[in-house]
Amino acid sequence: MSLTIVKSCAVGGLAAALFIGTAAPSFAVDQALIDAAKKEGTVVWYSTLIVNQLVRPVAEAFQAKYPGITVKYSRTPAGEMALKLQNEIRANSVQADVFDANSAFFRAMPLENLVEYKPEAAAHYPDDLKDPKGRFTAVNVFTMATGINTNLVAEKDRPKSYEDLLDPKWKGKMAWTTDLTPNGPPGFIGNILVTMGEEKGMAYLEKLAKQDIAKVPASQRVVLDQVIAGQYAIGLMIFNNHTVISAAKGAPTTWLKIEPLISTGNYVGIIKNSPHPNAAKLFEEFILSKEGQTVFQKASYLPADPDVPADDPSLKPKQGGYKATTITNEMALEQLPRWTEIYKKLFP
Amino acid sequence: MTTSTYNDMQDKGGRTKVRPPRIFGILREPVGLVSLLMIVVLALLVVPPILILIQLSFADIADNGAIKGYTLAHYSALFSGAKFFGVLWTTIVFAAFATVISLLFGGILAWLVERTNTPFRRLAYLTAIVSLGTPYVLYVMAWLFLFGRTGPVNQLYHWLTGNTGDLLNVYSLWGMVLIEGFLWSPLVFLLMSATFRMSNAEMEEAARMNGASVWDTIWHISLKLARPAVLALAMFVFIRDIEAFEVPALVGIPGDVKVLTTDIYLAIREFPPNLGHASAFSVIMLILVSVLLYFYGRISKHAERYASVTGKGYRPRPFDLGSARGIAGVIVLFNFAVVLALPLLALFWMALTPFIAPIGWTVMKSVSLANFIVVLTSPSYLSLATNTLIVSITAATGAVLLTAVCGWLAARRKPGGTIVDQLATMPLIFPGIVLGVALLNLSLRSPIPIYGTVWLIGIAYLIRYMPYGMRYSYNGVLQIHKELEEAGVASGAGIWQVLGRVIAPLLSPALVAAWLFIFLISSRELSIAILLAGPNSQVIAVSMFDLWQNGQAGELSALGLLWTLLMVLVASAFYFLERRQSAKTFG
Repeated sequence: MSLTIVKSCAVGGLAAALFIGTAAPSFAVDQALIDAAKKEGTVVWYSTLIVNQLVRPVAEAFQAKYPGITVKYSRTPAGEMALKLQNEIRANSVQADVFDANSAFFRAMPLENLVEYKPEAAAHYPDDLKDPKGRFTAVNVFTMATGINTNLVAEKDRPKSYEDLLDPKWKGKMAWTTDLTPNGPPGFIGNILVTMGEEKGMAYLEKLAKQDIAKVPASQRVVLDQVIAGQYAIGLMIFNNHTVISAAKGAPTTWLKIEPLISTGNYVGIIKNSPHPNAAKLFEEFILSKEGQTVFQKASYLPADPDVPADDPSLKPKQGGYKATTITNEMALEQLPRWTEIYKKLFP
Repeated sequence: MTTSTYNDMQDKGGRTKVRPPRIFGILREPVGLVSLLMIVVLALLVVPPILILIQLSFADIADNGAIKGYTLAHYSALFSGAKFFGVLWTTIVFAAFATVISLLFGGILAWLVERTNTPFRRLAYLTAIVSLGTPYVLYVMAWLFLFGRTGPVNQLYHWLTGNTGDLLNVYSLWGMVLIEGFLWSPLVFLLMSATFRMSNAEMEEAARMNGASVWDTIWHISLKLARPAVLALAMFVFIRDIEAFEVPALVGIPGDVKVLTTDIYLAIREFPPNLGHASAFSVIMLILVSVLLYFYGRISKHAERYASVTGKGYRPRPFDLGSARGIAGVIVLFNFAVVLALPLLALFWMALTPFIAPIGWTVMKSVSLANFIVVLTSPSYLSLATNTLIVSITAATGAVLLTAVCGWLAARRKPGGTIVDQLATMPLIFPGIVLGVALLNLSLRSPIPIYGTVWLIGIAYLIRYMPYGMRYSYNGVLQIHKELEEAGVASGAGIWQVLGRVIAPLLSPALVAAWLFIFLISSRELSIAILLAGPNSQVIAVSMFDLWQNGQAGELSALGLLWTLLMVLVASAFYFLERRQSAKTFG
């Protein structure tokens, strides 16, 4: 089968240019793939993204570009998605073609279940955002920061380093999520161990554990909401773009550049033996292309494509001029169980 | 000929037919066929998930979800926690006090509304229906906002006293007890009001005429008559509170209060989700429930003595409270304020503001209807609402039809009745996610392509909420005197005719309450919906979870309020139809 992708501006370029109204993308997808995908007519996407903000806009943009291919989606949190896909795979009845999820999901989804396909659209993505064999590619990235309530934390009191978080005045006034992913406490622990080294890092974490950080059994966004509402003064492991979105609405919040921050990814991949393998590839090409990435930009997310800036460029490390520890998918797969154990032991 | 009743046959037969295997004993009587049919249906619904539950509780699960061996680790983990007995004690305190609050609150209210001339009776119904129709997360969120550090209660306290400390910390054991207690008081209210509505007022009137005071009458007559129902209910709510996940998670975890389910909640959120832990806990709960049901069966052996719906014509008349009417009115209003008005106002405030903020003038400027407009103009909510209504109506109707017959078999202690009761009550202890995984498993292997359809979610809810239907109908049947059925049989009616023409109409208040309860509560269940909803069967709960997960509290509140409004409209229509029907039956 000729599923290769040809670098050319000829075929889909014009339509794409009309659609996003900017310069034509640097490549177009092979017509044979488009034809094969159209024959399949449908692509099923299991997503952890937010329906109103991203899933529907991406689906609509894809359908506008490739009429005749319907995107069917199901919004599921990563843990439930893992259970669903595991069962579908074991029952030999895979319903999903393509998925997106963060690193923790891959703990429950061995890579051998994923199709090896290197999307042309991500050829220029840095290596730490994709699998060398093409089984996953980052579709968007996150910067995990410290978010504060600006009414409760005076300008002069703002923590500037991780050491500052140990100040007794913050005892009982900090909160984080119970999400056991690199975007939650395990990611924080990983960052500390990587940057401070094992011994100093553990000593730091033991002191931090005495600060009575409240655990909020909900998403990072909910932690930030409680910080904004004044229940807590400081939220750890907050998505930095969320503070910007809220501050724009007048909420008393901002994010602090306590360096290094933490950079993590959300990855797309294709399930083996899925019902619409070609449509899945076409969809992956689309979501990683400039057009797909622009949808993330418009939704105030951080696009993975290094050439597509965030709508507030300072949110991404390079443009924002801050240092971040990148927790790659490989690193997460290897270290997440250990970081989680440390979390459970120190923050029971 | 059917000159003797089958109840008599059963009484005689119960003693003589001990020796032959039970299953054949069942079949000797016409009612035995019904029992057998019900046992088969229930077993088909309940046994496969139970087997999967037991399997998971012993399974050593690999990262990819496959079972690689068997282990006792999940059980030992349950008991080996460092502070196991401390946690157990907290759990019992939490469940016991929450049960007491639900029972007192819901029970007193039901009695006032159904048996007395208290003012604002409609308001009590409205409160129960609206609060049941409000999604769980939202309800808890509203409470946490009201009593949180910057909520209006503490704000008011700061303003009045000038203190900066907090009057109350909602993230505590007592916060959990109160919220859990209030959450389930509408269940008790609906159940008890069905009981009180059907019970005969003659005895209360006789007591009053013989000079008993109001309180004596309540204590010696009303409560005594309701005793088997109350006992069953207390046990039921207690079990429900012990296995509650939501309040211990949302309130207890931030407050560092641990109960038995806390670890289980956290285990499910691990990667890969650790289902073994939750399953082992559920298996133990399953055994506990069976034991409790067994003892309950022995206590309520003579429950028929409490039946007060007899062949004699009667018309329940409201009890005149006299000067206590004012106090009763205050209780009803208090319930309305605490269970309904305050949380809804909190939600309304959240829906009007762009981000969660303490109530104050500075935020007033940014108040807008934007969140409501977003919900009303969003294209997807219509299909979500339709799917959800299909699911809720299917589950409620299915569960009520099934449990009406099962409740009768169990309450009348028909052959096989105990098995029926056990089977229908077992799903009470399934954690949503385990039931979800079980059905995921089964439906993917089923020859009928049901995976990914709304019907699968409907069946899941039917199984999950069957125990509630069972409690409603069981309590209802206890009150109907056997003589009415016997009269039916003596006049030549077959068993289905007796059930359909005699029992069903008399039982209708209980059945309607059950239907309403399941209909309202099934749209609140998030965990099953999230696991079973496919691209073609998205329901409103998934959207709510989406918004909650994304912290879009404003839009979530707006969606929740609009959804509650829809549910209340549907429920009210149903309720008024029922009242008309009920008026025909009970005069």
